Amino acid sequence: MTRDADSPTLPAADRPAPSGDHGPGRERRPSRSRSGSRLAARRNRSAAVLLAPFGVLFLAVFVIPIGYAVHQSLFRVERSGLGFGAPRTVFAGLDNYTRVLTDSTFLKGVGRVLLFGLVQVPVMLGLALLLALLLDSRVARFKRFFRVAYFLPFAIPGVIAAVLWAFLYMPGISPLNDIGRSIGADVDFLSHDVILFSIGNIVTWSWTGYNMLIIYTSLQSVPKELYEAAELDGCSGFRIAWHIKVPLVRPALTLTGVFSIIGTLQLFGEPMVLRPMTAAISSNYTPVMLSYQAAFGLNDYNFAAAVAVVLALATFVLSYGFLRLSTQGSR
Amino acid sequence: MLAKLAARSRRRAVLGSLSAAALVLTAAACGGSGDDKAVGGTVHLEFWGWAPGYDKSAELFNATHKSIKVTFKKLPSGGQGGYDKMLSAVKAGNAPCLAQIGFESIPTFLLEGALEDVSQEAGATKDKFVPWTWNQVTVAGRTYGIPVDTGPMAMYYRKDVFKKYGIAVPTTWDEYAKAAEKLHKADPEAHIVNLRAITLSGLAWQKGAKWFGTEGDAWHVGVDDDQSGQLADYWQQLVEKKLVATDQGYSPAWWSGLQSGKVATAIGAVWLNPLIAQNAPKAKGKFAVAPMPQWTAGEKKFGNDGGGSTAVLKGCQHKDEAVEFATWMSTDPDSLKNLITKTGIYPAATAGLELPEVNKGVDYYGGQNIYKVFGEAAQHTDTNWQWGPTQSQFGVDLDEATANAYAGSGTLFDAFSNVQKKTLSAIKSKGVKVR
Repeated sequence: MTRDADSPTLPAADRPAPSGDHGPGRERRPSRSRSGSRLAARRNRSAAVLLAPFGVLFLAVFVIPIGYAVHQSLFRVERSGLGFGAPRTVFAGLDNYTRVLTDSTFLKGVGRVLLFGLVQVPVMLGLALLLALLLDSRVARFKRFFRVAYFLPFAIPGVIAAVLWAFLYMPGISPLNDIGRSIGADVDFLSHDVILFSIGNIVTWSWTGYNMLIIYTSLQSVPKELYEAAELDGCSGFRIAWHIKVPLVRPALTLTGVFSIIGTLQLFGEPMVLRPMTAAISSNYTPVMLSYQAAFGLNDYNFAAAVAVVLALATFVLSYGFLRLSTQGSR
Repeated sequence: MLAKLAARSRRRAVLGSLSAAALVLTAAACGGSGDDKAVGGTVHLEFWGWAPGYDKSAELFNATHKSIKVTFKKLPSGGQGGYDKMLSAVKAGNAPCLAQIGFESIPTFLLEGALEDVSQEAGATKDKFVPWTWNQVTVAGRTYGIPVDTGPMAMYYRKDVFKKYGIAVPTTWDEYAKAAEKLHKADPEAHIVNLRAITLSGLAWQKGAKWFGTEGDAWHVGVDDDQSGQLADYWQQLVEKKLVATDQGYSPAWWSGLQSGKVATAIGAVWLNPLIAQNAPKAKGKFAVAPMPQWTAGEKKFGNDGGGSTAVLKGCQHKDEAVEFATWMSTDPDSLKNLITKTGIYPAATAGLELPEVNKGVDYYGGQNIYKVFGEAAQHTDTNWQWGPTQSQFGVDLDEATANAYAGSGTLFDAFSNVQKKTLSAIKSKGVKVR
């Protein structure tokens, strides 16, 4: 989102030079200066050439599949009697969407991931902020080592992380249970009441370092003069952190916050890995699992596509709304 | 600040997409199809499945047949994605002619319109098979494949444990419950069985429950029928008295329980016998096989767990040849010998039941000819059992509901009622009539 895209009243020549984020084939008005337009045309051409690989990929792995999913979600397979004749695919309009939005398991799943997000996201971001501030503080030693150490869990693929933790949760195998028992706290990590926290712990472990890095990066761009001034005014390190650093990284916090919320909407891998070990996770525990189950358990691809589209829309609304907010804020 | 980040990542994205585009181009060049082509008078058939040993049977066939060549392609097992792959291939119009499909999934494939009617091609071979197996590949009078194997059930039990505590080998379920009590009293750590290691549909089959059926133009679901209710109540009692184990079946803990004798019996199919031998090697000579306990003394009614077919997928251009191969694989003595030893099947072909490979003493079971027991069971398995049209969903629902019941939320019968409701709505959602 750049300024000139929102202000078509500016004559073309007076605009800032088009940057790479205008796609090829963008409508341009005839401009007054010839050489300027030739230059611009050449720029556009090279931009188009450079953007082509991205465009092709974007189309092939993003736009077309989404289009196909939307298309599928508008149809329904019809059968008659025992269903042994040839199934017919018929147009269903928004029937599948009605089914999704009135499906109690879907709504329960959405409620579950939202609850999960309400608890897990603040905890994770609080931790990430704390770690970033510690790394950024003057007294921190071995910064590079710790930066890598905190970030390391993110480098482990999500499913592998879930498998690792699954073994740590499994009664009879888990050393955590033994340690717990020795201090008199016998927790069953896979029970109905605890399972959501157990999943939250895996996600937190995986993503805290990643979010810390984003926050830490934004801390790096704070002008050092601010700190000097604050010190001259007699600010302690803690107060500098609280009154100067935290407000300045707020955009980074909102960014990581919204991405985390989007991530929780799409919770899938962790509960899927833990499912065989506990009765507490049903096959439609989260909305994405419901979509998966509909497609591969019931072979109902149309309903599964509708679930996916509804989820994608929710995600889109969240991220777009956020982007509007953040771009307004940072300008 | 964000803009700066964005600019940097844009530059990187362009570079990245260039290399990624190259990847896509190479990937697009791959991608096979299960097309069956006739080349120079020879018909080439593809056969998708996952059982070990099937490839060898295909080789044996190719060595003895000139005009048909079969290529076996190994997939993940049905429930692990194999069925999805087959259904997707049918959708895409490039499915192979032949596919390994378990009896329980035939109606599900049928509902997706994924099977070819081969009643004409296969009609004459019906008499070669144990009667009820033919019913498994025949729905509403039309045949869709050829049976390969069955899973007759029996009771594996620890002779030494029963002897030690002076417990008679139970022949009825009443006696079985009493034995469970006696054993648990004698050794509080021991259980007669792990209920989660038994396939419930096999017990329901024996009981005479009618979980699925067709009546006229509608499906009938009876997971909560009277027979199922009695079955649920029986086991619920044992669960409540903690006389049966309900931890994960087929787990390391279960195998070690069988090996130590803390799990005194296993109610399972014929294919369980080599698995026990492999996973509980120290219990060699201590196990024996007896018929499944009966609901009424003196009766002979048995259940079945597993078994499958070689089915012909939709779009097959060579149905005659496909049926010829499938029939040969299930009935030819050489093929059967291979499948019995390599795959561990129990043949669905009546001639297969006479082979020496399935009529001999087994070392691990103290030299007992355990196949006699299974053969007897195969002969007295109810022929009317039918599977429903939403099998994978049904399996998931049943597992979930019963696991909850074992964990103490609700009874086993509640679980059955719950599955009944879910299955009715699943079948309805497929646009099919159900009662």
